[in-house]
Amino acid sequence: MENKVLKEQVEKLAALVSGEVEEILGELVLKVRAPHIIETLTGAKNFPNFPCDFLHDLCGLDLVDHLEVVYQLSSLRGPQRLRVKAIVERENPVIDSVTSLWQGANFLEREAFDMFGINFKGHPNLKRIYMWDDFEGYPLRKDYVTEPIEVRNIVRTRIEGE
Amino acid sequence: MTIENTEELILNMGPQHPSMHGLFRMVVNLEGETVTKIEPKLGYLHRGMEKLAESRTYAQFIPYTDRLDYLASPHNNWAYVQTVEKLMGVEIPERAEYLRVIFGELARIASHQVCIASTALDMAGWSAWSYAFRDRERICDMYEMTAGSRLTVNIMRIGGIIEPPAEFWPALKSFLNDTPEMIEEYNGIFFGNEIAQGRLKSVGILSKELAENLSITGPVLRASGVNYDVRKAEPYSIYDRFDFNVPVRYGCDSYDRTIIRLDEIVESIKIIKQAVRDIPEGPVMAKVPKVIKPPVGEVYHRVENPKGELGFYIVSDGTTKPARVRIRPATFINLQMLPIVCLGWKIQDVVAIFATLDAVLGEVDK
Repeated sequence: MENKVLKEQVEKLAALVSGEVEEILGELVLKVRAPHIIETLTGAKNFPNFPCDFLHDLCGLDLVDHLEVVYQLSSLRGPQRLRVKAIVERENPVIDSVTSLWQGANFLEREAFDMFGINFKGHPNLKRIYMWDDFEGYPLRKDYVTEPIEVRNIVRTRIEGE
Repeated sequence: MTIENTEELILNMGPQHPSMHGLFRMVVNLEGETVTKIEPKLGYLHRGMEKLAESRTYAQFIPYTDRLDYLASPHNNWAYVQTVEKLMGVEIPERAEYLRVIFGELARIASHQVCIASTALDMAGWSAWSYAFRDRERICDMYEMTAGSRLTVNIMRIGGIIEPPAEFWPALKSFLNDTPEMIEEYNGIFFGNEIAQGRLKSVGILSKELAENLSITGPVLRASGVNYDVRKAEPYSIYDRFDFNVPVRYGCDSYDRTIIRLDEIVESIKIIKQAVRDIPEGPVMAKVPKVIKPPVGEVYHRVENPKGELGFYIVSDGTTKPARVRIRPATFINLQMLPIVCLGWKIQDVVAIFATLDAVLGEVDK
């Protein structure tokens, strides 16, 4: 019942930002293109009756032909949950930062930048968070080459008498 | 003589500082003794768990989750296996659910005991530390009986859990019998202590609005006056069968953030007592295929970890290895309050505020 009302609101929002609504394992997923993300999340935050106003998680996702930024929204005052996916181009991964809506997105966006190289426009301090500053490449992308196990084993063996 | 032209001092706290609970480093700008800016630096324990998961099968990743929040490893196992079960649509036996709740709540007690102990230790309260650690030993012994290890237990399987041996039940019973005395001791030696109260009360105020905006979860959020617990709001496993309260405190300060863990220990004991009373006989493993191959799809699942909400987001491409495993660590996100809340406090208060966050760097750095 509640889910139905929420679904109506999500569909209304989807029509506004030209997105698609799906239902995966009982959870609503709203897919939009990157330029609409602020509009979408502001809309979701201000849903009448069922505001999805708590940013639960933000992460990157590599789908080989494009990247996605996944926002898990929920609320501290109700059971509503919504997953918003923003499609980002692989060659030019730029999206608006949501730190203006939730300060809590700060570290999460830095992590997505660190691991996927997604550029969050308007982030106050967009630096690598886990890897060191002059690290090259984005480790969680599918095309990132990790060294094969044979190479690692060679590095580990010591020459006798060393 | 008056001092003129004072200079801002930049102090590196960590990564090997004893109050940093692991390998956490922060760069603190000081004006005299007052903090003007804090910048947390993470990544000293970064092992790339999410990348490792992509080259392992679903079952092979369970021992890695132990190393996330290593003070409550059954909880991490639980969150992960439940996510995979949700993706596969596996129903697990009754007895396994009850055992999971018992081990989960024992882990919560152990984790909160470490929090109380290390908060006391950071304020030089050695005796409170030793009391809490003495009691935690008994929980570690119970882990050892069941799993063979004391810290990273790797106790859950996709579709069930290990059956504890016969000597586990008397040990649990005697532990539960001693808990009222235990809680009284913590109250007397630490929470009732004037020095501890002086160091913690009204230090590091985190308002309700700020906590919600910063996506803070768990006891830190509840100490700021928000009544929210996943176990009540969205009962997973069999939490809807138990009668327990969600402790909420309204002080928003470091003292409430610490003492709320004691309240949670009391509630956890209530849950364990009910679970021990109601536990049925039966199998502890569901019938799951030998090769775990979830259908194509994605799932997000969260549980109430002792430190906050732990979430797993798994994307499956229909093969034996996950396409993406996203871990939503609770303390990583809770840490964001540090640069905001610590401003204007003295350097020793920063240590107190950081201790009450109960950060475990295994979880922060993944």
